[in-house]
Amino acid sequence: MISELLTRLRFLILRKRHREFDDEIEFHLNEAIKSKIEDGLEPVEARRQALIEFGGIELTREQCERQRPGWWIGTVIQDVRYAFRGFGRNPLFTISVLITLALGIGSTTAVFSVVDLILFRPLPYAEPSRIVSLGFVHPLERQEFVMGRFYEEWQTYQTPFSALAAQSTGVHHCDLIENEPTQRSCISFQSTFLPLFGISPALGRNFLPEEDRANGPRVMMVSYGLWRGHYDADPHILNRMIDVDGNPVRIVGVLPKDFEFPTLEAADVVFPLALNPAVQQTVNGGFGESMRLFARLKPGVSVAQAFAQMQPLFNGDLKWFPPSAKSETRLSIRTLRDRQMQESRLVAWVLFCFVLAVLLIACANVSGLMMARGAGRQRELAVRSAIGASRGRLTRQALTETLVLSSAGGLAGLAVAQALVLVFVHLAPAGIPFISKAHLDLRIGVFAALISCLCAVIVGIATALQKPKLAALNAKTSMSRHHAFSRRVLVTTQIAVSIVLLSGAALLIRSFMKIEEQNLGMRTDRALTVEVTVPQLRYNTNQKVMDLYLRLESSLRRLPGTRAVAVTDSTPPGGWQDGFRFSDLHVEGKPPTPAGTGGTVVGRFVTPDYFRALNIQIFRGRNFADQDRTQQQREVILSRSLAERLFPGEDPVGKRFLDTAVSGAGAVVIGVADNVKNSGLTEESNPEMYTLRRSVSGDWSGDHLMLIVDSAMPTAMLQPWVRSEVSAIDRTIPLRMEPLNASLRRLADRPRFEATLLGFFALTGLVLSIVGLYGLIAYMTAQRAQEIGLRMALGATQSNILRLIANDGLRMVLVGSAVGLGIALVTSHVLKTMLFQVSIYDPLTYILIPLLLSSVALVAILIPAHAATRVDPAITLRAE
Amino acid sequence: MPPSIDLLQGTLDLLILQTLALEPMHGWGMAQRIQQLSKDVLQIGQGSLYPALHRLEYKGWIESEWHTTENNRRAKYYRLTQTGKTQLVTELATWDRLSLAIASVLGRVTETSS
Repeated sequence: MISELLTRLRFLILRKRHREFDDEIEFHLNEAIKSKIEDGLEPVEARRQALIEFGGIELTREQCERQRPGWWIGTVIQDVRYAFRGFGRNPLFTISVLITLALGIGSTTAVFSVVDLILFRPLPYAEPSRIVSLGFVHPLERQEFVMGRFYEEWQTYQTPFSALAAQSTGVHHCDLIENEPTQRSCISFQSTFLPLFGISPALGRNFLPEEDRANGPRVMMVSYGLWRGHYDADPHILNRMIDVDGNPVRIVGVLPKDFEFPTLEAADVVFPLALNPAVQQTVNGGFGESMRLFARLKPGVSVAQAFAQMQPLFNGDLKWFPPSAKSETRLSIRTLRDRQMQESRLVAWVLFCFVLAVLLIACANVSGLMMARGAGRQRELAVRSAIGASRGRLTRQALTETLVLSSAGGLAGLAVAQALVLVFVHLAPAGIPFISKAHLDLRIGVFAALISCLCAVIVGIATALQKPKLAALNAKTSMSRHHAFSRRVLVTTQIAVSIVLLSGAALLIRSFMKIEEQNLGMRTDRALTVEVTVPQLRYNTNQKVMDLYLRLESSLRRLPGTRAVAVTDSTPPGGWQDGFRFSDLHVEGKPPTPAGTGGTVVGRFVTPDYFRALNIQIFRGRNFADQDRTQQQREVILSRSLAERLFPGEDPVGKRFLDTAVSGAGAVVIGVADNVKNSGLTEESNPEMYTLRRSVSGDWSGDHLMLIVDSAMPTAMLQPWVRSEVSAIDRTIPLRMEPLNASLRRLADRPRFEATLLGFFALTGLVLSIVGLYGLIAYMTAQRAQEIGLRMALGATQSNILRLIANDGLRMVLVGSAVGLGIALVTSHVLKTMLFQVSIYDPLTYILIPLLLSSVALVAILIPAHAATRVDPAITLRAE
Repeated sequence: MPPSIDLLQGTLDLLILQTLALEPMHGWGMAQRIQQLSKDVLQIGQGSLYPALHRLEYKGWIESEWHTTENNRRAKYYRLTQTGKTQLVTELATWDRLSLAIASVLGRVTETSS
């Protein structure tokens, strides 16, 4: 076997010389002639007969040559060389195909790489499709949660799940004290949590059931990142005692490196949730603490079945709810993926469809170009076939050519894709899950390359397979009717798809512009937000917290250029903010609002400077004054919309809320402020109530506190000053500063990202379609050069010719636009939830886009049409 | 003269190997020898003989060398290699099985399998 292989290899390298074969054949012929002469034939006749008997010498030589192993490599090299010569002769065609493939493959791959993570990424858990998030939802909290009191019952009486595990809602800060205190984000979950997700710790063990119990041993697990970063991956970390918030806690485990919390939160330290059933019956008004709840469906149980099975338990729970909450609270069970993706899913699908459309245009373009080339080469193929090339040989040649072209285009496409992924990651807002992890996915690149190259190959071979007609040998115009028609259809389709893409992108861009232009009801350009993280260990009473903030307030006020310094618990227009039900407000002397109606009211707990710092206009009454802070009376300012709803046609100033009202108890209205955008940039704003934060320790509870500084100084200069003022008061307090404008921009990141991406794809689609249109018109003009020459010789004017060519193109543009508009009007409702104050039938979009496309298309038509009018009849007619 | 029979696919290789098993030979000689032995039934077209020789040579079953003939002319002689000899044994066995099988299907039992 080995020797055979070696022989093969030897022959592969050392080709036999032609001479040797000639000598061998010559000897054979001579012997044959000799024997014929011996049989009595004339030498001349003997030679003739021997030659006839032998058959074709060249054919035999060819067949011997083909026996050589690796013989085909030679023909492939030959084909590739021939292909390159062909491309060099026709650079316009080559460049068009390359650009088309690069853009098509590049954009598809890039978007696939990003979307794949969102839509199709396997979650890093065992059997993730069986894991659900379940609990109550209501308008103030749209993520499932469950209260301790009900969770106890659910654990006992539920049937659809094989396991349940709760996790605390959100991370909280805790101080790890060793040599120097560090503040970490901490979270708690039950001992059933990791097993439910099929995760085992990288080091150590999970919590034991006895540790996950009230007053159990104090233990914790740390994240892989904390273990590596803070403890230098110390393998002996287990059982070490760490002081957390003043209590010694034993480390029992390290979470795996790629562990992700199902809520996608980042936490460094995990404690056992340690639910105490007795406590859960008393805290939080007897409802118990809120938790996030995850469960694993039993085999064969669907989400809908689980929902139905949980409904009776939920109905039982509802009885305990106050009437207002009863009507608004629902049971929700959804898969973990649905919970994680939220509204990203729609964006991802829209993006995905856009990209498929671009790929479609790219394929149409490549097909059109290949078809044109095939038609243009019929004559060449006919010649080659006539001088003996077999059908297989011609097909192989065509295949080689398209493969060379496709792989070049594919490589260029991958380069484009890599660049695009980098751009996407750079542009992407923080809200889109996992996008920072996006990287070029080669599988996807190959997939896109395969699809578009397949178009090229199929069309390329289809044209080569057509039996070259003898007529093509002497034909002057070789573009058949069939080709012309298919290409027209292709180009018309491209234009239609472009219209759909362009109008979708235009709607999003218009919506984004509306978001940017809208009146927020405040000025944000001068405001700097300052958030300090107060160590709970040292500031353990409200009084201490209040003293700290008041000192901060007065020291920041002294900074040069400061106009106002306010303390608040939140800032508009987005992010966390407090809220309550409209029906919780009860005005003195008025009937109460029916429970559960009226929606939500945003509540903000502010110091008097708040309205000056954000330049919010006070309409009626007055602003809070500094002296109000020391008095007993609780004062509120209403937003205009809230005032109009509570006191239609009345003066709200001086009105008072009942002492028994759930919210705003005993407060008196002293003024009305302008409406401020307060539910994100795109949502409908809620009515708002501002409560004066007095200098009373009771007004300073709660974790969310921040300062707003309005200064005439540029923020870059202001920030170091603020930093030094804060550290003068307490050196160890970490702080975070951000111009309010920056957080505002972050809110607009998402629409900006969507508009940019889709705009980019629409433009790519447009460019490709225009290239296709231009290519077709230019090609047909070249094909009709003789016809045009003849017409001109017979007296057609230049404008006649221009009209002749342009009409053809314009018809495609018109038909394509009409079809595209129709499809766009039907499909645009998908975008509805992504649009802000723009109708899906936005007239401006549907007028401008076809106009834009037509004018670009007109240029693409006129250039070749104009060239056609320059035809010199004398030259084209003589070309026959 | 009875009409010559088209050779079965693969049979030519067997004939070449068998012919060369006796002595090294050139292409012309092989064609003559096969024709003679088969009493003019098997006529090897040169168009298939030479490609077959090249194929067997590439497979390493035969090898070639230039020698002078008795008439003092230079000719390319082919010779069986060691692999070729083993191959011939296998091919012969295969042929025997095949011809026996065909004969049984046709309902005749031949005494010799040619």
